[in-house]
Amino acid sequence: MPFVSSRRILVIALAGAALLSALPQSSQSPWSGTLAADLWAPLVPGASALAWVRDRIRAPSEPYQGLPEDLRSAREDRDQLQGELDARQLRVEELERELGELSGFRPPDRAGWQPRRATVVERGGGRPAGLLGIDIGTNQGVGEGDPVVIGGNQIIGEIASGGAENRSWVIPLDDRRCGRIDAIVTPQASGKGGNAARQSMLVQLVPQGNRTLVGELETLAGVNPGDSVLLGDAGWRPAAQGMRIGVVESVGKLDANPLRGRITVRMESDPARVTHVVVKVRVPGEGQPQGQGARGAGAAK
Amino acid sequence: MRWWIFIPVMALVLSLDAALMPAFAIGGHVPQLWPLLLAFVSLYASRSAAIWAAMILGFWLDAMHPALGVGIDAPRAVVVFGPHVLACAAGAWCVLETRAWLYRRNVLTVAFSTFNCALLASLAFIAIAGIRGLYADPFPLWGGGSGGAAVGSDVVDALYSAVIAILPAWGLQSTLTVWGFATAGPRFAGGNRMNRGND
Repeated sequence: MPFVSSRRILVIALAGAALLSALPQSSQSPWSGTLAADLWAPLVPGASALAWVRDRIRAPSEPYQGLPEDLRSAREDRDQLQGELDARQLRVEELERELGELSGFRPPDRAGWQPRRATVVERGGGRPAGLLGIDIGTNQGVGEGDPVVIGGNQIIGEIASGGAENRSWVIPLDDRRCGRIDAIVTPQASGKGGNAARQSMLVQLVPQGNRTLVGELETLAGVNPGDSVLLGDAGWRPAAQGMRIGVVESVGKLDANPLRGRITVRMESDPARVTHVVVKVRVPGEGQPQGQGARGAGAAK
Repeated sequence: MRWWIFIPVMALVLSLDAALMPAFAIGGHVPQLWPLLLAFVSLYASRSAAIWAAMILGFWLDAMHPALGVGIDAPRAVVVFGPHVLACAAGAWCVLETRAWLYRRNVLTVAFSTFNCALLASLAFIAIAGIRGLYADPFPLWGGGSGGAAVGSDVVDALYSAVIAILPAWGLQSTLTVWGFATAGPRFAGGNRMNRGND
């Protein structure tokens, strides 16, 4: 089958590609997302079928795998409630601080979100790596910054802006480009009443890839491997607050400054091996406290 | 080369890369099949057809791998067309330059060319991303970490892709006559080549 054979046209095409490569993102963003979605659309049915095959070859990493459906569902409900409880506790602490200051009025924080289940249809390797493609988009109300969770309360990332009508990109929490994340270490409850007595500790985590995040602490007193780490970052949506990032994997001293501590947090689920996620889609007009969820310069924090 | 065969095979390969190949990931290294397809085409097709195939493939790869930019509420996924197009062209060029001294009808040769193709494409991509990072991108296109670490990781990816490519390469070699390549056939000779059109 004859194809364009002129060497001149080939050179022009290569020069055009070089020019496109040199253009800043702002020059391409108005049209490249739509074009990419159109190019990807014919591949979606095949990719969905192959994703099913992939899950048969290598079982996805989902919480409570192997348990009976009823038990699994009950545990996920429990985790979801635990997540809500953690989020409310954080909110109560915040409100208590604000009451002390009486700096101004803020509307009450209601739920403000609803869940949308999505299938991961794309998570190829190559460069740039790491983003997950899911099969819901702006048509289903998904917007930038919406938190993405699994298992009721395990946060695995957030929606990047630039999605299409039926396709969105998820930035995994362990992606180094996510920037620093404010989190709260909550020691494991010990015995009865331990929940009330626990002392939480703030920490700023830096994603390291491979499901790990690393943070520095002034003191390691009260932090032990196995402690839960919750998201408590004002830059994220209210629906993400209190969601579980993972557990403290190891605790040690900083080589550069032995007076300070270093903790390694491991996410409980591998974002690269999840098949279904739940996006906490924002409901307009509900429960969006002023000043929360706007990250300004995004990950350049 | 018969483009009506290349395009569906490319679609299949890209779907496999996006959906199935992560199942074979080892230690975060995911094998890819697109270097195999590109190496196979570059081994047998005419020079211009191979470069065109690389550019088409690169265009789709760009569409599948958005970069991260600065957004208002969250980092923005922006599809940047161009880097993979040039990277794939570089990978194809590498195979085109080496194919003259290779015994092509061997599966291991295709695997070796797959490694070369993937490696040079990766180096070209990281070089382009490095240049873009100086003025255009808030985050490097290769993801997190240093460029050197990205090259090291991609060398392993290329090796893994080449190993995985051996079996599908055998399948592609057995379909050689179907592709209508300019430099391959059951009884390839200059006379045959003249009748294949300038593809």
